[in-house]
Amino acid sequence: MTARAEETTMRRSPSGGRRGVAAATLAAALAALALPDITTAGTYDLTIDKVTVERGGSKQTVLGYNGSSPGPTLRFREGEEVTINVTNRLSVPSSIHWHGLILPTGMDGVPGLSYEGIAPGGTFTYRFPIVQSGTYWFHSHSGQQEQDGAYGSIVIEPAGREPFRYDRDYVVLLSDDHDHDGASILANLKQMPDYYNRQQRTLGDFFADVSAEGLSATLADRTDWGEMRMMPTDIADVQDYRYLINGLEPEQNWTGLFEPGERVRLRFINASAMTYFDLRIPGLEMTVVQADGNNVQPVTVDELRIAVSETYDVIVRPTEAQAYTIFAETMARDGYARGTLAPSPGMSAEVPALREPPLLTMADMGMAHGDMGHGDMGHGDMATGDMDSGAMDTGAMSGGESTMAAEPAEAEAMDHAAMGHGTMEAEASREGSMDHAAMGHGSMDHSDMAAGDSFYAPGSGLTPRAADGGRFLSYADLKAQKPLYAERPAGREIEIRLTGNMERYIWSINGIKYEDAEPIVLQYGERVRFKFVNETMMTHPMHLHGMWSILDTGSGKWDPIKHVVSVAPGTTVYTETEVDAPGRWAFHCHLLYHMASGMFREVRVEGAPQQAAAEAGR
Amino acid sequence: MMKNHLLRGVGAALLATPLLFAGQPVLAAGSHSGGHGHGEAIGGPGEAAQADRTVEIAMHDNYYEPERLSVAGGETVRFLVRNEGSLVHEFNIGTATMHAAHQEEMMMMVEHGVLEADRINHERMKMDMGGGRTMEHDDPNSVLLEPGESAEIVWRFPQSADLEFACNVPGHYEAGMVGSLEVGQ
Repeated sequence: MTARAEETTMRRSPSGGRRGVAAATLAAALAALALPDITTAGTYDLTIDKVTVERGGSKQTVLGYNGSSPGPTLRFREGEEVTINVTNRLSVPSSIHWHGLILPTGMDGVPGLSYEGIAPGGTFTYRFPIVQSGTYWFHSHSGQQEQDGAYGSIVIEPAGREPFRYDRDYVVLLSDDHDHDGASILANLKQMPDYYNRQQRTLGDFFADVSAEGLSATLADRTDWGEMRMMPTDIADVQDYRYLINGLEPEQNWTGLFEPGERVRLRFINASAMTYFDLRIPGLEMTVVQADGNNVQPVTVDELRIAVSETYDVIVRPTEAQAYTIFAETMARDGYARGTLAPSPGMSAEVPALREPPLLTMADMGMAHGDMGHGDMGHGDMATGDMDSGAMDTGAMSGGESTMAAEPAEAEAMDHAAMGHGTMEAEASREGSMDHAAMGHGSMDHSDMAAGDSFYAPGSGLTPRAADGGRFLSYADLKAQKPLYAERPAGREIEIRLTGNMERYIWSINGIKYEDAEPIVLQYGERVRFKFVNETMMTHPMHLHGMWSILDTGSGKWDPIKHVVSVAPGTTVYTETEVDAPGRWAFHCHLLYHMASGMFREVRVEGAPQQAAAEAGR
Repeated sequence: MMKNHLLRGVGAALLATPLLFAGQPVLAAGSHSGGHGHGEAIGGPGEAAQADRTVEIAMHDNYYEPERLSVAGGETVRFLVRNEGSLVHEFNIGTATMHAAHQEEMMMMVEHGVLEADRINHERMKMDMGGGRTMEHDDPNSVLLEPGESAEIVWRFPQSADLEFACNVPGHYEAGMVGSLEVGQ
């Protein structure tokens, strides 16, 4: 059976527009006249509701907005002044955070930082200017409501022409839906961190490994994992999810229509609480044109990984009058979300089989990578010695040999001399000046190079590979279409070690959980460099509210800006932020239960000029 | 393999110098299947003095202005092409198949550092790829321009053809930087 999601959309009401213009002062009206695009103002009304949906063949009560989950697509226009009245019809407090939107701190929707939240029966009116364009989303920032369905999409039309074109436009919102509500899942994880791990290694695996690798290697391997209080199958904390596209299960098959030859824009949003997806559309290449709402220089790939809370906009051009499957396989390979692009409703294409679940390796444990952190490489400060003691020297990885053996390609891929790359002088390689831009990672689309994705630890079990041997998007491929900020050196570096104790299900930053931590204080006008060091074996999508994260991919002025940066196990990733938004901001891992367990900080921006501070306070 | 075609230098270089492309053989194979041998099918370079008219083309990030053109069969047109964007762009007259083949060549240019986002490395373009072949981009049906640059193409169209003008910088065509070029009626 095929079903098309009833897409609910909210556009600004004409009355709201008139009211907005009428309310404008003379000065504002004159200013508006000077702009090529007359400033608009829209009023939107949202209710936070309990919603009944059919999932897994039975009726379920979830959370949603205006009677649906996902909530409606909010359609704004760059330059618009929006007024959004949000009424909480739940019996518990709630909130809405506008994920990725640049707005005054009081409008950010984080209870305890931006405001007090929205009490049961209460209404909060958000008012802020729309200063950007692209694909974003919104969700509750209260408790675990996001897990229970409290999310929706935001589409912002740009003031000017976009650097790409398309004939059709679909939001493809991915989410993970569970029989347990979010609060119960958190309680279960706290009690038993492997409560939801269905891929645990068994006694049978142990004997299989002994026969393949010998008893001592197997014992050493198991001892290392035990000391980390982790398991090689710890890709995802929570399983048994149903994976949805626009609220529909795989069998319900959300379908987007096209005419052959048309360009179709797909706005992928990962609204999951905990799930990363590897996305592909067999038979179609995807040209990525936006990441986290920001235009990137178009890059054509066969597959991409979308971290929790990221968005990617792609353009596909199906030329045949046939159905194509949108296949979003979880990173842990425990399931998939599925939809279809087709010339008419009711069509479907083959649904691929799930690939084998990845196994974490010693590299993901941080034991094999030495100083091979990506950012180090990008800055030419990597000494030869570091390379030798790190991934380049397999002898140093005695504990890791059993797992490394399964990944022989990695060792080759890290052999830069063998890359045969015209622009990379062997001389430079020896001296350790590894300039990523010159290495051209962004354009190395060949399957044997995919293993070299610099945003994964060399030898990592999580390194993505395209299903068809094609090109898999790397962060290194993302280049700003039109850089928002001029390049300048950061004034200081702040280290953010991502830490945790899986056995007690405590997640933290620099070993301290949120409740016990002081805010990170930034000064308005400075540029700071964040050094993320992932000391855990989980992948963490780090989300800074209120200000952009300029991701250091080694592309210099083309480094992309994002609102979420995924940090893989055993890696170091650098971002920079132009501190241009005064106030109190949330900064956290966007895996819902990691955030709730303490991987969270307040970022406090001080020293703003009065004008900016006044705007932030409204 | 057809020898008499555009971008012969790049195409032949790919086949002639496998060692520079270790681990990347896929691009060399098949990149020219059907892409050439067009001969008269797309027309050929014309004399400016013979041009019936001049058409100005502005290249932005990542689209053309105008986005569609019509020419009369047999007409000679002088194109004044200016890159008003902040990235490198191409104006290339050809069939969809030729563009697809040229996109693979342009990907090579990116991978060899010949083509950067906003500049063309002319030194590297002259690099000897073996047998005297280079990655120079000097074919009469195409101009590749840095931001702010202008160039002229005079093109004599055939009586009829199925043509597009396109930018084959990686990703740009797919993002929609391609225009229809109607020849004849």
